[in-house]
Amino acid sequence: MRARRAAAAGVLGAACVAWSAVPLGGTGGLGGALLAAAAACAALSTLRLLLSAPFHHDEYFGLVARAGRVLARMARGASWAEGAVVAVLVLEALHRSRPWHTAVLGAALLAYLLAVHLGESRSSVAVLRPQVPLLAAGLGLLVLGAGAAMLPAATGSAAGLMAVLAMLAAVMVGCLAVSR
Amino acid sequence: MPAGTRYRAASGGVRPLWSRSAHFYRLATLAITGLIVAVITRRPEFAGVAAPAVLLLAVRAAQRPDEIGVRARLTASAVTEGEEVRLNITVAGCDDYFVDLVMQPRFAVVPHSAGVQAGASSLPFHVSRSGRRSLGALDITLWDRWRLAEGRAIVSLPRVDCYPRSAALDSRVVLSRLPNRLGEHASRAAGEGLEFTGVREFVPGDRQRRINWPATTRRGQLQLNTFAAQRTQSVVIIADLSADVGEPGATPADLALRGAAAAAETYLKIRDRVGFVRYQRDVNWVPPGTGIRHHYRILDMMLADQGASWLPARETAITRLPKAALPPGSLVLVFTPLLDRRMVESVRNLRERGFAILVIDVLNAEPSEGDRIGALARRIWRMEQQAIRFSLRELGIPLVQWDGTASLDEPLAPYARRVMVTRR
Repeated sequence: MRARRAAAAGVLGAACVAWSAVPLGGTGGLGGALLAAAAACAALSTLRLLLSAPFHHDEYFGLVARAGRVLARMARGASWAEGAVVAVLVLEALHRSRPWHTAVLGAALLAYLLAVHLGESRSSVAVLRPQVPLLAAGLGLLVLGAGAAMLPAATGSAAGLMAVLAMLAAVMVGCLAVSR
Repeated sequence: MPAGTRYRAASGGVRPLWSRSAHFYRLATLAITGLIVAVITRRPEFAGVAAPAVLLLAVRAAQRPDEIGVRARLTASAVTEGEEVRLNITVAGCDDYFVDLVMQPRFAVVPHSAGVQAGASSLPFHVSRSGRRSLGALDITLWDRWRLAEGRAIVSLPRVDCYPRSAALDSRVVLSRLPNRLGEHASRAAGEGLEFTGVREFVPGDRQRRINWPATTRRGQLQLNTFAAQRTQSVVIIADLSADVGEPGATPADLALRGAAAAAETYLKIRDRVGFVRYQRDVNWVPPGTGIRHHYRILDMMLADQGASWLPARETAITRLPKAALPPGSLVLVFTPLLDRRMVESVRNLRERGFAILVIDVLNAEPSEGDRIGALARRIWRMEQQAIRFSLRELGIPLVQWDGTASLDEPLAPYARRVMVTRR
């Protein structure tokens, strides 16, 4: 069961990294570095889910096994999923504007974070049932953001900024509605 | 124990320590990164990427319980090795929260599942080695319905007594000379038992109901049936636990305890008087006795502290045991790997004092071979072991090998088929 949850998180993480990296060219050395960092973080976050088994404190381990356990403990302590999210988003931002592509990436990233949490807490998908209305509202806002970006508008930084502010306002309204 | 968690003993109220969950921080990272990228790049779709995470983080959290009630009870306080037992856990006072229970087992405690999530749960496990075992601790994690806050607490679990798993043993070794005490073994002496031994001439005073009429008709004189006296025997079981080498759960000490438990059970079933001597750091003993309570007294002696087996045993402790612990004329069954020289000397001494002794060799481990020097050392060690066994056989001490997997009947078969002659 643990392996299945880790596999789901790993597949989603790999999909996010690959999706944000496409097309491969045009991002230069920074893009390559971000791609490597994102892939490493996603892989380590998946490995962390697999290595979260408790072990007997009284057991004797050899030197190699002990070193492996120390590394595993270090890998368990770091925030690999957060690193993968930041790297993937910055990598996506390096590409030219493509709103629908970014929206798909946003949905995949959210699914990845939920999968990591389920794997970490050894929970079933059913525990997310109370969050379904909120997730639906959030995905609606995601589509709204992508739609706003795809609307033909006046070019220039002021128009872009206005679109972002409008989107932020929409998110704020959503937050106010949710928090009541 | 993880930092920031509270450790409380057994059942009762536990105050969980609340903090934001790792899921909260991951969602916050997605939200903040998305919003920053949106503002810097002037691209509203990144604000949309941040929107679901922002909405989830904006939810007002429910009231957190300050204290929860935890009750952990075992389905059995005493088990045998490998027997499944369940730990029933009830967590109260956290209605709207998800409860995640994970057992942090101590040595030799093997949980059958990683953890469970429920208000009232059952964690199955087994204990792989005999002894008084601490089960470890129970890690309790509470999650709110949005999975953004988690409360952690640790509760210590109760101890469990794990008795050794008895080896298969049906046959019994019976001595040729039995003490003059009523029992179930047919002795050589004539008596009031049930086993027919022959006929003899009737003498005045004999019971008439025992007259053998066919023999009387043949010989022309009154003939009487004679029977063997039914006697009991005293059996003293010595378990040598001084060497705990090899694979945990199948060490010579484990085999000695399993064999001793089987022998005690088998002889007590036929109402023999059974005593037990535990040879480890010290020598502890239970004098011979009968009955189910005596059986549990022996099992409890087996469970005594098994640590510190590397400390030297008291010199000649077994040979100085009082008559109450080692009655003359008793059958002595020794379960030993013969790795401790003092034990070997004690066996020799007991034989020289005229005890009917039977050594069950439970050595099932060898030094690892390693390099060339290691291989040579192992060869020398093997020769030493063979020499020890040869010298014991030369003294007339019967010695059988038992590997712990087969039935104990197999090695004991040559001595169980007929009575074991006591030689002084």
